[in-house]
Amino acid sequence: MNPVVLEAEKIIKKFLGVVALKDISFNLRAGEIHGLCGENGAGKSTLIKLLSGIYPYGSYEGDFFVHGQLAKFRSLADAQKAGIAVIYQELALVDDMTVGENIFLGAEPPAVQGLIDWHRVYHDARLLLEKFNVGIDPSEPIAKLGMGQKQLVEIVKALSKNSNILILDEPTAALAEHEVLILLDILRDLRSRGIASIYISHKLDELFAVCDRITVLRDGSSIATLETKRTNKAQIIKHMVGREIRDLFPRRQSKLGASVLEIENLTVADPHSGQPFLSDIKFSLRVGEVLGIGALMGAGRTELLMHLFGAWGRRLSGSVRLNGRELSARKPEEIIRRGMVLVSEDRRRYGLILDKTIAFNLSLSSLAKLTKNRLIDQGLEFQKNNHFFQSLRVKAPTLEELVAKLSGGTQQKIVLGKALMTEPLVIFLDEPTRGIDVGAKLEIYAIINRLTDAGKAVLLVSSELPELIGMSDRIVILHEGRIGGEFDRDEATPEKLLAAAMGQRHVALT
Amino acid sequence: MQSKKSLRDFSLLIALVVICAFFAIVSPQFLSARNLSLLTTELSITATLAMGMLLVILPGNIDLSAGSGVGLLGGIASVLVFEHKWPAPLAMGIALAIGILIWFCMGNLVVRQKMPAFIITLGGLLIFKGLFWLVIHNSTIPIVQGGRANLYSVLTTFYLPLIAGYALAALIVVALIVGKLRARKARQAYGFAVEDGEVVFLKLFLAAQLIFLFVVVTNKFRGIPFSAVILGVTAFAVYVLTTHTPFGRYLYAIGGNEEAAIISGVPVEKVVVGSFSIMGAIVAITGFMQTSYSGASTTTVGDLMELDAIAACVIGGVSLKGGQGTVPGVLFGALIMACLLNGMTLLAVSPEFKFIARGAVLSLAVWMDVRLRRKLL
Repeated sequence: MNPVVLEAEKIIKKFLGVVALKDISFNLRAGEIHGLCGENGAGKSTLIKLLSGIYPYGSYEGDFFVHGQLAKFRSLADAQKAGIAVIYQELALVDDMTVGENIFLGAEPPAVQGLIDWHRVYHDARLLLEKFNVGIDPSEPIAKLGMGQKQLVEIVKALSKNSNILILDEPTAALAEHEVLILLDILRDLRSRGIASIYISHKLDELFAVCDRITVLRDGSSIATLETKRTNKAQIIKHMVGREIRDLFPRRQSKLGASVLEIENLTVADPHSGQPFLSDIKFSLRVGEVLGIGALMGAGRTELLMHLFGAWGRRLSGSVRLNGRELSARKPEEIIRRGMVLVSEDRRRYGLILDKTIAFNLSLSSLAKLTKNRLIDQGLEFQKNNHFFQSLRVKAPTLEELVAKLSGGTQQKIVLGKALMTEPLVIFLDEPTRGIDVGAKLEIYAIINRLTDAGKAVLLVSSELPELIGMSDRIVILHEGRIGGEFDRDEATPEKLLAAAMGQRHVALT
Repeated sequence: MQSKKSLRDFSLLIALVVICAFFAIVSPQFLSARNLSLLTTELSITATLAMGMLLVILPGNIDLSAGSGVGLLGGIASVLVFEHKWPAPLAMGIALAIGILIWFCMGNLVVRQKMPAFIITLGGLLIFKGLFWLVIHNSTIPIVQGGRANLYSVLTTFYLPLIAGYALAALIVVALIVGKLRARKARQAYGFAVEDGEVVFLKLFLAAQLIFLFVVVTNKFRGIPFSAVILGVTAFAVYVLTTHTPFGRYLYAIGGNEEAAIISGVPVEKVVVGSFSIMGAIVAITGFMQTSYSGASTTTVGDLMELDAIAACVIGGVSLKGGQGTVPGVLFGALIMACLLNGMTLLAVSPEFKFIARGAVLSLAVWMDVRLRRKLL
């Protein structure tokens, strides 16, 4: 058996008292591809940041060893020196430079008289590309390459620094089928050269195709390390989910009314690539209902909401009907007027004007209704603002507090209040409880219940399965831009949802 | 919040007092009624343009073409009046419409073609300058025909009758007091923090004093300049627009966070085009005043006025990133710029040093602003 090149022992990482990693132990051998998988928020990204020196030695408990030596990384550079290279989802390549320039960016060969020897750069780049069987011309500009080729350049760049431990974070998230195959081949080739890889992916097919062992993370702990040959997908999924849904979600069923939103055969193109990104989406939503939408990252849930709201993508086909009438509006301001409103997952970017007051933000979407003779009726505005300030129990001294000073949960209530003030029929909630504390989460769940009782319909996107199952009356799962499955509240289990999200239609649970 | 504002206002006030004191000592004429009246006219021209600039900068854009536009639109009106013998009001109306149309188009280029306002208006700066010189055939076009005054030429030479000045001042003071007290009552009713009663009284008292002092001084020299009335109306309109209408709120929202504004249902395109269109109208009005003040359209009318307007905004606390800035602040900034320019002209400072001083004051103001903000946040 090959020697262990990286070993993690009981790693614990806390952020301001919140535990991100509880207990992580695993080892990586030379010439091995080791899969890491887990639900969103299981601790994968935190672990990578720790291994790559972004969270320096001393900011976590427990130790890890590289080639038998205790690792005390203080920076990315330290980790690089120890031979660890990380390929992130967002590639760190400069689009306007050539492949060769990118490979040697920041590590140009010794300069003669202060000038870079470009011939040598391209010569060395060619040798490296050939060594790893990557058929790309080093003088090609990065911008002309596809995602898969870029990924390969990134890997070659990492290996040019004599790295022997490669960490790949969701490397195939943006790749087409054939590019995935090429990437997996290259990884196998690297394995035969003794390079150890940590392969993080949601896609079980890939993990089983290429990994020697798979470690499952859940809630910040390493649950099990399994040899690929001796396990199966169902077992992995079970380990990933492995918990009871606690009684944290006080969903009260509301009386269901008529169908309010109907979506049929919706196909939407990515505005940048022009390729269809969402295909054949079909679902409906009734008055008083919470429809959950679940998906893995990058499967199109946020894009779906943004498109319905008129803020993303080009519609290729399909229809959206609100209250039985075709919704022809394509701009957020018109769609709000028709009775749909969006609470975005990224409240700092899409939700709030941070350097303005609570009052300014709350009424921003409803000003047209607060106007008399073209002037804002400040008394009326105050009454409306104050109503939501009180009923949402916003924790701030007055309406004139700057939003930037508020906590995450309080900010979320402001975004919610702004949406509710428009008196919508349908509310899109995209990850409404991301990054807020448990108390605020429970308040948001209570608000959702109040909304459906009041006859509103809610579209709830969440990447937390327990939340999705706990708060939805019905759940639609997206997989790679398509409907991967639809489940009633009673039949939904984390295993089924996860399987659908991973594109596994039938998982035999053993 | 409150203390932050007052500290910043305070530093501006000190700067203004220092500048005025310096010029008053070096050149006794500075505080003469005649000069203060001239200063008022100059301030009115700069500040009116700065009002438009505020509307453009609030949502995060900029207008570098305003100065050339001032020349061009003033030039068009003077050619129509002097060469084509059109009545002044009609000529000015046409130029005003052209201004609104041009700026409407530039606004559309910004929001629909996603071109940076900096580039479009930089292009505008050059194009309008060229057009301006074409329109006036590189010569000097007076704005009076046959020696008879018209609406155009009296813009900066007409003064309100003395009694009307006092009446106007009284009216403004009463409106100020009533407005302030009503707003205060409303804020109290809603449980907002209000200033101490004595502070309010002091502020109102001070404001009333200043207004009457202004009238007394200007009345010593012919009366309140008509251009000051134009500034007053423009500033009041822009004040109401920015603080009491959805349009104004949207300007701040777009400048604060454009993406969030879009998702919140703010009609970003309409608002930005609207702000540019209003700028077009204001550029035209400023063009008439500046040309009238110069007595004729010559190739240099409007030169660098866009920079004075931007400087007035920045000195007055407008953030070039957008989202921050108020009408009173900009008026204050314009006052500082106008005092500086007027004082230097009195001292017969050579143009070289005038440029250097303007640049230095602008840089100083921004530096102070950045420092104060960092300290306070």
